[in-house]
Amino acid sequence: MFGLNKIIPVEPNINFLGLRRNFLIFSILAMLISIVLLSIKGLNLGIDFKGGTLIEVSTKNTSIGELREILSSSYSDVSLQEFGNENIILIRLQNKSNQESIETVNSVKNLIQDKVVEFRRSEFVGPTISSELLFRGFQAVSFALIAILIYIWLRFEWQFGFGAVVALTHDVLFTLGLLSILNVEFSLATIAAILTIAGYSINDTVVIFDRVRENLRKYKKLELVDLFNLSVNNTLSRTIMTSLTTLLALVSLFIFGGEVIRPFALTMIIGVIIGTYSSVFIAVPTLLIFKFRPQDEDD
Amino acid sequence: MKNYPIWKSFTVISLVLLGIIFAIPSIIYDENSENWFLKNKINLGLDLQGGSYLLLEVQLDVLYKEELDNFVDSVRLISRDQTVKIEKIDIKENEVVVFFSNKEKIKNIRDDFFQMYRGVTLQIISNKLSIQLNDEYRKIIQDSAIKQSLEIVRKRIDESGTKEPLIQRSGKKRILLQLPGVKDPERIKDLLGKTAKLTFHIVDSDSISALQNNLAPFGKIIVPDMYDENTKYLLDKRAVVGGENLVDAKGSFDQTEGHAVSFRFDTEGAQKFGKVTTNNIGKNLAVVLDGVVITAPRISSAITGGSGIITGNFNAQEASDLAVLLRAGALPAPLEIVEERSVGAGLGADSIAAGQIAAIIGMVLVCVFMILIYGTFGALANVSLIVNLFIIISLLGTIGATLTLPGIAGIVLTIGMAVDANVLIFERIKEESLKQTKVFQIVKNGFDRAMSTILDANITTLIAAVLLFAFGSGPIRGFSITLSLGVIASMFTALMLTNFLVYVYLSFANKKELKL
Repeated sequence: MFGLNKIIPVEPNINFLGLRRNFLIFSILAMLISIVLLSIKGLNLGIDFKGGTLIEVSTKNTSIGELREILSSSYSDVSLQEFGNENIILIRLQNKSNQESIETVNSVKNLIQDKVVEFRRSEFVGPTISSELLFRGFQAVSFALIAILIYIWLRFEWQFGFGAVVALTHDVLFTLGLLSILNVEFSLATIAAILTIAGYSINDTVVIFDRVRENLRKYKKLELVDLFNLSVNNTLSRTIMTSLTTLLALVSLFIFGGEVIRPFALTMIIGVIIGTYSSVFIAVPTLLIFKFRPQDEDD
Repeated sequence: MKNYPIWKSFTVISLVLLGIIFAIPSIIYDENSENWFLKNKINLGLDLQGGSYLLLEVQLDVLYKEELDNFVDSVRLISRDQTVKIEKIDIKENEVVVFFSNKEKIKNIRDDFFQMYRGVTLQIISNKLSIQLNDEYRKIIQDSAIKQSLEIVRKRIDESGTKEPLIQRSGKKRILLQLPGVKDPERIKDLLGKTAKLTFHIVDSDSISALQNNLAPFGKIIVPDMYDENTKYLLDKRAVVGGENLVDAKGSFDQTEGHAVSFRFDTEGAQKFGKVTTNNIGKNLAVVLDGVVITAPRISSAITGGSGIITGNFNAQEASDLAVLLRAGALPAPLEIVEERSVGAGLGADSIAAGQIAAIIGMVLVCVFMILIYGTFGALANVSLIVNLFIIISLLGTIGATLTLPGIAGIVLTIGMAVDANVLIFERIKEESLKQTKVFQIVKNGFDRAMSTILDANITTLIAAVLLFAFGSGPIRGFSITLSLGVIASMFTALMLTNFLVYVYLSFANKKELKL
């Protein structure tokens, strides 16, 4: 066997919790900045949540500038963007009413007909639908968070649940903040990514908490800080391995999966990194707030 | 093989074989196969095979308003019968308030009215009668309108020649349409954009002044011409006969009039039409479609055969589309398109290709990584990972799930996450190997200890996936399906298949010690 895993010691002894104050300050700052960004700059809402019309075309012998010139003479709120390569162009329009947009799609198609090889897709989301989708998205995220917490609460002591909430809130806020800075399009797929990140981050946290609980039973005399450190160290190679394999798959999706899926892959990549970080540096230290040793009560 | 029960080996091997066999139809993917086995393939979502998704909203407000108008007409008729004078009528959003000149017969009017419209809320306040559309009454209107709309939409789509459309009610007042293979839904949208309410009315040429003042007297309506908004007709409000009495309509060509639509009435329609044309020779008969007059020819002789033609400035396509609409029948209320997503076959094919490449490269990266880290055990985990992929594909195929672009993303993500269970097990084995030397005991403990962690960790992911399915729509559901199936399959492959493979390997390699 040529297992490289021998590089990572079986019982590493890294003092993760020693630096907890620094990480805590970093994370609190990150969350505050995220909140400020979200309230001032906001997210780059795609048509799913903002409503409007989107047309993707592949062109021949035409520059994006030429198309822009043709369209902007008829529409003041049109925006064009190259999508993946210079021959594929996304056209976005904001429409007020449902009826208007149907006519818009037709007239846009007529205006640029002779420059276009193929109309690859056209999407239109009316104002009522976009606000419904946004509402349902938030509903899904909140219910998922609540359901996950209930599960943690049933399987562990409530203190662990608290640690998980803190870590989850951190992950979601931090990810949203980065999406805002990077101007990543926020769509239905992004909501799916956020939910998956929540699941993933909790998954990571649960594995470490499982070990904390086991060690609490095993080492009754150990200082809590040392016990938590030990638990993180015990699970460290798993934490790293799983994050790496997941990131490998996601990077492959990001690079090769096509333009449409790219924002989803990017959001997931960001989320997996933040989720892994928070499991170790946020979720576990949060447990220190409680001077608990559930086993002591049982004895 | 010692330490491993035979029944367990048998179960694992058969499940793996089933997983691989049932993945075959989706891998071959013969689109038109009628073979019972090959038919169990994955359905491609509209975003992958190309097609149109439309969400239509039935404009119920129009219906409620129409009903309020009906109330007004009926109240006028009843009060005329009862010889009570109406002073004023207020039409509000959900209510009609009628002011009578005296309150003596108001109760009779109320009772007569109730005979016609059971279920409305009626209230008398001194000389006022208030007629309200209550929630129940509105719900009855709503339900019948949606049901009727669904039926008409289905007929129109069928007539348009679209293959395998999906048409279903969505929520309270919406209709969801999935049209695979329809790249450009303009024609469909045209077909659905008209209510196609056809009525025939006698033209009133006597009251020219009403037309000049643009004020229709009771029992009459003013309707503009289809081709010229400024030309208006004064018509009897009551239709002679309507589209509901049509049994057939076809696009036809007339030597003098050009493209036209020929139609035929049922017996009742033919009788009505015959009677009216007999009694009104010399007058004009207006053909009204969705609130505009298409044509208003003079009745030169009685038409008793029950058939006729409608002429207008049609071209061949318009005439045949109108015939389709008339055959399918009128929508009870207009439909508004509130969401549309159309994907061309080109983009769909590109997405599939990109998804496949991403999945293969992701798979190779993860496999290489696992071998680098865990050596032989990594290779065993890779076998599980590949089988895992087969199982996802076969489950998707056999339950008839739809694979979407986010669904492909879910599969790629699963490739990365599925090895987690194996990693958890291997790490436990590694720890156990420090504590003792008995090879099979180490493996057994490793699997046992990792079990509860694997369950806890995967259930949280499943919770997120299930809620995503419950609240998500369309393509996103595809993601939650592949993610859930992937998570479930990965638990099986890690706890059963990897377990089996590790035992097989250790038995044959005859290892005396285990150092992971």
